[in-house]
Amino acid sequence: MYPKELKYTKTHEWAREDDGFITVGITSFAAEELSDIVYVGLPSEGGKVEKGSSFATLESVKAVSDVYSPVSGKIHEVNHGLQDHPELLNKDPYGEGWIISVIPVEKGELNDFMNAEEYEKFVEEEKGK
Amino acid sequence: MKRTPLYEEHIKLGAKMVEFGGWEMPLNYPPGILTEHLTTRKFGGLFDVSHMGRFLISGQDALPFLQYTLTNNAAALLPGQSQYTIIPNHDGGAVDDAYLYRIDENEYILVVNAANLEKDWVWLQKYRQKFPQLIFEDRTAGIAMLALQGPRAKAVLEVILGDMRKLPEPARNNLTTVEIFGAKVPIARTGYTGEPICFELFPPAKIAARLWDKLLEVGKKEGIVPVGLGARDTLRLEAGLPLYGHELGIDVKGKSIPVFALPVARLAVSFGKIKGEYIGREALMKQFQEIELRLEDRLDTPKEKLLVPKIIMPMAISKNSIARAGCQVYVNENLVGNVTSGTVVPYWKTEGTGIKSKPGAESGRRAICLAYLDADLKEGQGTKVVIRDKFANGVIVERHIGSEAAPYARPLLIEE
Repeated sequence: MYPKELKYTKTHEWAREDDGFITVGITSFAAEELSDIVYVGLPSEGGKVEKGSSFATLESVKAVSDVYSPVSGKIHEVNHGLQDHPELLNKDPYGEGWIISVIPVEKGELNDFMNAEEYEKFVEEEKGK
Repeated sequence: MKRTPLYEEHIKLGAKMVEFGGWEMPLNYPPGILTEHLTTRKFGGLFDVSHMGRFLISGQDALPFLQYTLTNNAAALLPGQSQYTIIPNHDGGAVDDAYLYRIDENEYILVVNAANLEKDWVWLQKYRQKFPQLIFEDRTAGIAMLALQGPRAKAVLEVILGDMRKLPEPARNNLTTVEIFGAKVPIARTGYTGEPICFELFPPAKIAARLWDKLLEVGKKEGIVPVGLGARDTLRLEAGLPLYGHELGIDVKGKSIPVFALPVARLAVSFGKIKGEYIGREALMKQFQEIELRLEDRLDTPKEKLLVPKIIMPMAISKNSIARAGCQVYVNENLVGNVTSGTVVPYWKTEGTGIKSKPGAESGRRAICLAYLDADLKEGQGTKVVIRDKFANGVIVERHIGSEAAPYARPLLIEE
């Protein structure tokens, strides 16, 4: 149920590497847990992100939550379309609901993260808690 | 975790289930909280509220018992009427808030909050020895509870009952008992959404699923959808209705809130002769006197000695910020209180004006909240709300929705 080509964090972000850029979003599980997302606080292009720190905030009807960067680097592009259409995060979290793309400081950082199968198991454990 | 008689229906409908007050309840169905909220306002929504506690109170001592343990004047209810009431403690605070339905001459249903059921039961038990002719039963499992709320709700019940004269009289709080699927079902004109057209039904648990399915089947033609607890909370917040643990009883930090901090308390607390002596009356009377003096502009008690220093008020929040429970509120750099419940709600942009307005095709969103603020603040007062270390602009408003344009609840917006 989770796309095989992506890597996953324990804080429920996904990351994908293409041509040295790393695209980051939130997983369908995270989107569903948040319920309808109504506002997205986005960073600026050219800014820096640090591995494990928050770079965006998502507000849903229920609560506010942070999105954490899986890598350190420079923000190359921000999906500004989310500002007017935050619902894309719920409707298409792996496609049009991507949040930022980053030029990472180091290569190969994604290797440490979970693959789809491991993430699915992780989610099941989280649900059981 | 406990399950209502409608659990299977929720699963079939694809609901996202969550724990609430010890119950496994639908948070939302596939359309999601925002859509369910909007649909309720334009067409209607069907809610499973069987998790609420239901006590059946009967016998000759029913009325004296209710008079002693609740704040409102239960003697004012004729059979077929209901009222909002509070279960007071001895110190001017609330054990819970509740709705009292007089379904028959000597038979009442008291509906209490799911999370407080056990606490309320134990509390009320303490006072029953004084009333030997009292039958006091927890019927939460035996009687289900459904809420059908919104502009098209009446049309659905007319089809199911086959005769509109069977409905309770068209004014809030009226109640009647009808027969559905061979069972007696009390239906009241009450609800927790702010909808001018609202019904709550109390079917026996054994026919609850059948009735739910029937209401949805007939309701579908009217645009009515099932609605979960997520939208139930955004609807009640938009309607300015209190929630135990936020605006009533204890606040989000666990501190006791005086009953009269809630403006609606004025309608739910009686000091009349018929009402007589009851738990907490003296403490409540003192709060009431203070509130009256403030209204008359004759209050000279120093702030630190006030019994009701803060009042629950609706507040609108400027664009792109969402206040949440616990956020601090400032006026001119003075801390004046905090947000008790806050979220974003969707609304229909209206067509037409005043009582002729109705929901249009487009929707918008706005951040609203209820806040517990210094009692001397007035409607129209601008505020600064601390949201994640930043200040957002707020303004105290009278209400977030109006119901003058029935059958629709109309959004009341602030000008940015």
